[in-house]
Amino acid sequence: MMKKEMTPFARFEKMYASDRHLWRLIIMIIVWMIFIALTRFSKFYSILNFQTMASQFPEFGLMSLGVMLCMITGGIDLSVVGVANFTSILMAFLLLNLTNAAGGLPGYAIPLVFGLGILIGAAAGIFNGILVSKFNIPPILATMGSGELFTGLCLALTKGNAVSKFSRVYSRTINNKIAGLVPVQLLIFIVMAVFIWFLLSRTVFGTKLYMLGTSATAAKFSGLRNDRLLIKTYMVSGMCAALGGLIMLANYNSARADYGSVYTLQCVLIVVLGGVNPNGGKGKISGVVLAIILLRMLETGINRFPSISSYYISLIWGGVLILVMVLNYFTENSTRFIKRQMLQQ
Amino acid sequence: MKKILVLMIIVLMVVPMVFAAGQAEKKTGYEIVVVPKDASNPWFVRMKVGVDEYAKETGLNVYQKGTAQIDATLQAQLIQDLIAQGVDALCVVPVDLESLEPVLSQARKAGIVVITHEGAGLENVDYDIEAFSNAGYGAFIMDNLAEAMNFEGVYTTMVASLTNGSHNEWADAGVARQKEAYPKMQLLAAEKRVESFDNGDVAYNGAKELFKKYPKLKGVMGTSSYDAPGVARAIEELGLIGKAFTSGTGMPLDNAALLESGVVQSLTLWDPALAGKAMIALAVKVLDGEKIEGVVDLGVDGYTNMKFKKGSKTVLEGEGWIVINAKNVYDFGF
Repeated sequence: MMKKEMTPFARFEKMYASDRHLWRLIIMIIVWMIFIALTRFSKFYSILNFQTMASQFPEFGLMSLGVMLCMITGGIDLSVVGVANFTSILMAFLLLNLTNAAGGLPGYAIPLVFGLGILIGAAAGIFNGILVSKFNIPPILATMGSGELFTGLCLALTKGNAVSKFSRVYSRTINNKIAGLVPVQLLIFIVMAVFIWFLLSRTVFGTKLYMLGTSATAAKFSGLRNDRLLIKTYMVSGMCAALGGLIMLANYNSARADYGSVYTLQCVLIVVLGGVNPNGGKGKISGVVLAIILLRMLETGINRFPSISSYYISLIWGGVLILVMVLNYFTENSTRFIKRQMLQQ
Repeated sequence: MKKILVLMIIVLMVVPMVFAAGQAEKKTGYEIVVVPKDASNPWFVRMKVGVDEYAKETGLNVYQKGTAQIDATLQAQLIQDLIAQGVDALCVVPVDLESLEPVLSQARKAGIVVITHEGAGLENVDYDIEAFSNAGYGAFIMDNLAEAMNFEGVYTTMVASLTNGSHNEWADAGVARQKEAYPKMQLLAAEKRVESFDNGDVAYNGAKELFKKYPKLKGVMGTSSYDAPGVARAIEELGLIGKAFTSGTGMPLDNAALLESGVVQSLTLWDPALAGKAMIALAVKVLDGEKIEGVVDLGVDGYTNMKFKKGSKTVLEGEGWIVINAKNVYDFGF
């Protein structure tokens, strides 16, 4: 490669090479946006539409962030939806009790709901973490089981009915737009994303996570306390899921055991699409956030075409996922090939 | 690398183009979207038939769009997307009433007309359409049973449970209809109402017992969709075909054999295709600024004489019941 003259294109190539996966997601988003602009401009490019999307993705976006953390350690969290619904149902009961005769809520209600909700999520996460670390149950089984357990608890608590009829103040508050522009849901998501970004890239905890994910044995012999690390990781994942549940509670003004049952697989899809290595040790939050945005844009965009059945959404998601993985394979191989050629010269 | 990029762009551009091809955007008229519980349930596939027919007949930009799975959250998000897209009217068959209230209120705030079907409890709607009033449907079942029984003999009624609201209203209305129109028929005094618990086997065993206990019993009016089919199995097994009769709600394909063999003359139901058309027709009326009051004629079979439910300003009830018999049992696709 030429190093002396940096043409704009070369500069772009260098930027692209710095993080291929990330750039590939950005390019995909741009391509999709251009396509939508060409075909359905007026129906997609409106402030309302972007606000709608920004209020839709945080609920599963938050859950994906939790799944991402677990996947970086080489595990997975399939209980996010169960934890989310469990939290939202318990908090719905709490809100029912707090709702006064006039249909209002006392001022401390919403902070209390969020505080307690996050605690419940953390407790559920610790439970997962103990199953994974102390009992050595493979994460996929442990969290699948605990997810079923939480869903079962939800069913038992509600007998399968929706919990609702609590004050609309909660829903209205979360569905507000700050300064008439930014949805509150998006703000919650951003706060949590920044927190996790900080955890991963600016703390020892984050570095240890990547080490643990790369090789649990090596981490153990380097003196890391794997058990504690895992429990903490699943705890944060539980907290993310709980926040997702609290947003769902607001978005649908009710809680039910089977809300969001499609999110489990969707979260795993997002995390893998975001470039997190399913075997652990690799992955960035920026990739996952882009994947969340890409998926929401795809779905909303597709909803703009009356004649495209919703079935194609799963088809396109699957297609995008496989496309990204295949591209990863090819580019990694081709860079290796180029390097080898350069060495030979 | 560049090759791959170009290839990727082409693929991404072309694939949706192929899907999008063949759909010319119609700018004229209203854009009205029907959102069913999901896209694959045969009940809603049938509804789509009605919606597409309506679009063809009127040339309006009317289409049905459902989610790939029945899921309250997915439905809410689809509706949010449609709101952001700025459609003129939404016709929704809700998966879950509670979770839709905030979304539908967003829609109404955005000036979108909201019509629902089977959502009588919803607040944030312009109007809700029910295929029929409970009283009207009960009387209709009785008419069918009476015809089968040749307007005479002893009968009883069957409900899922004695606490089920609509089933008991249907049964009450059926009995009232018999008293008014079919004097030669009598309600079995010893057991006026039996329970089936929404279970075909319970209905079957209960009916067997009834027919043995009361040899004079000639008919059973079913309400839940398991009642009449269960009773029919009992009639068949006891060799009472042509001597004992039943009618009530039932799904066509599940009961095709019973209808074709003549064990049951007719079952009753409502047609989702017509309900879909009726929702759109009402949405058009509201968009046109017509006043919806008194008796509403939507120009759809069974929905030409719609009246407000007592005490409600939003729920409209039609006469959208249909008879399913050996002739039309295969017409519905479910």
